[in-house]
Amino acid sequence: MSILDVKCLIAGYEPGLSIVKGASIHADEREIVVILGPNGAGKSSFIKAIAGLVPVTGGQVLLDGHDITYGAAHLRVRQGLAFVPQTDNIFPLMTVEENLRVAGGVLQRGEVQSRIDETYTMFPDLARQRKLAAGSLSGGQRQMLAVGRALIVHPRVLMLDEPSAGLSPKFVELVFARLNEIRRAGLTIVLVEQNARAALAIGDRAYVLVEGREAHEGRAATLWDDPVVAELYLGQRRHA
Amino acid sequence: MNLQFIVDGLISGSLIGLGAIGITLTYSILRFSNFAHGDFMAWGAYGTLSVVAAIGALVGTTAPMGALSFGWPLILAAIAGMIMTACLALVLDWLLFARLRDRGQSIIVVMASFGASMALRSLLEFIFTSSPTYFSRGIQMAIPIGFGIRITPDQMVMLATTIILVTAMHLFMQRSQTGREMRAYSQNPSLARVVGIDTARVVRATWIIGAALACAAGVMVGILVQIRPLMGLDLLLPMFAAAILGGIGSVPGAVLGGLIIGLSEAAAVQLIGAEWRAAIAFAILMAVLLVRPTGLFGRAER
Repeated sequence: MSILDVKCLIAGYEPGLSIVKGASIHADEREIVVILGPNGAGKSSFIKAIAGLVPVTGGQVLLDGHDITYGAAHLRVRQGLAFVPQTDNIFPLMTVEENLRVAGGVLQRGEVQSRIDETYTMFPDLARQRKLAAGSLSGGQRQMLAVGRALIVHPRVLMLDEPSAGLSPKFVELVFARLNEIRRAGLTIVLVEQNARAALAIGDRAYVLVEGREAHEGRAATLWDDPVVAELYLGQRRHA
Repeated sequence: MNLQFIVDGLISGSLIGLGAIGITLTYSILRFSNFAHGDFMAWGAYGTLSVVAAIGALVGTTAPMGALSFGWPLILAAIAGMIMTACLALVLDWLLFARLRDRGQSIIVVMASFGASMALRSLLEFIFTSSPTYFSRGIQMAIPIGFGIRITPDQMVMLATTIILVTAMHLFMQRSQTGREMRAYSQNPSLARVVGIDTARVVRATWIIGAALACAAGVMVGILVQIRPLMGLDLLLPMFAAAILGGIGSVPGAVLGGLIIGLSEAAAVQLIGAEWRAAIAFAILMAVLLVRPTGLFGRAER
């Protein structure tokens, strides 16, 4: 059974103006699912709607069989669905450690420190800068902090909105390598990406979102060469 | 030169600072200027006065503690008053502010707080009349402490109480999970939801803390000066000045801002003339903002 099952989701900021127009995806355990699509396809709104940040007007979001479609965003985190936004994904005026600690509100008191230590083992850079204001971190380190913070509660599904945005190629490689490790540790990952090549390299399955709906689904390894996909999304760029 | 203005300024400055904590938190977390905050002070003072009267009716007159002008009933009543003021703020938020906040235009919420302020004040005048009243009518002897400065036992206790409250507040904001959640929410409300913070709880905590501290400040003004329905309104501008001077969102900043405003007002009264009191405070505010637009402890976001 899929751990995350999104059925025909309709969502948008303004009533009557849907950006997500009936998109469906599913993700199985330990799977990396990539959502691609041209600019303005509604990828970002789609993943935010699954996270509970964009009002949903129709469809269903099932997490491990439980309907969470209309639940509050903060409750989804507790139920095991974590989300890393693309921008402004850290609290810049708080220290690195406070950024991690603030996400541990639902954990037992004794648990928080051991989870923070876990994060430091995974991202040693953060351990060195634990007392610094998070706003002083580099782009790559911010992304690590945001991912580390999302993992603090041991979610079952980790969703990321363009984790490679604004990062240098070296960091992109590093972030994707880490995501692959996280998946091997037992998590399911759903990510929206512009950087299709890097994302498809670690992904298992991929969806192409066009105009608020999923227009194509396929195995990540072969999606790049699929002529339908080329037509839908990659066409102009690849034949240019 | 008479140095008495230092004590006077510290006292009024710490009262302003205590009130400014609530203003700075409401501004940074709920994102609006709450003009009804001064009226929380007045309601807190009157609420406490009512509980003191109720205790008096139950157990008869009690002797004041030591050299102070008040006895244990006032301390008990002040705690009850803080709880009552917190409830008042929560009810007001549920009735008025929460509904308007959801529409997303902060100027509407600010205007509503103006209205709430007037309504709360008129209600006090209706129930208690507009003539001033006192916790105690006794006159305290001021004790000389050198350099020509005198201080009453009440004033000493109020200064100490302020220091304790402010330190406790600062530790709460820095060390407790709720404090961290409040700071996180003030920096980025939608990210706060993403990391699992219950934003309704943060909003409640903000009102409870702001209103309880406003009540504490109101009771202190009542002990040191007098209780009037307009007492909060009179302190509203200095409190806003203190919150802005210290940097919006900063608890130590609000207190330091309060002390600077209080001291400069007291110094202006003594050195230049009482009519320059407010002008000096605001001249300092503007001078600081020209050099540091985010206030003393304020930091530019992102």
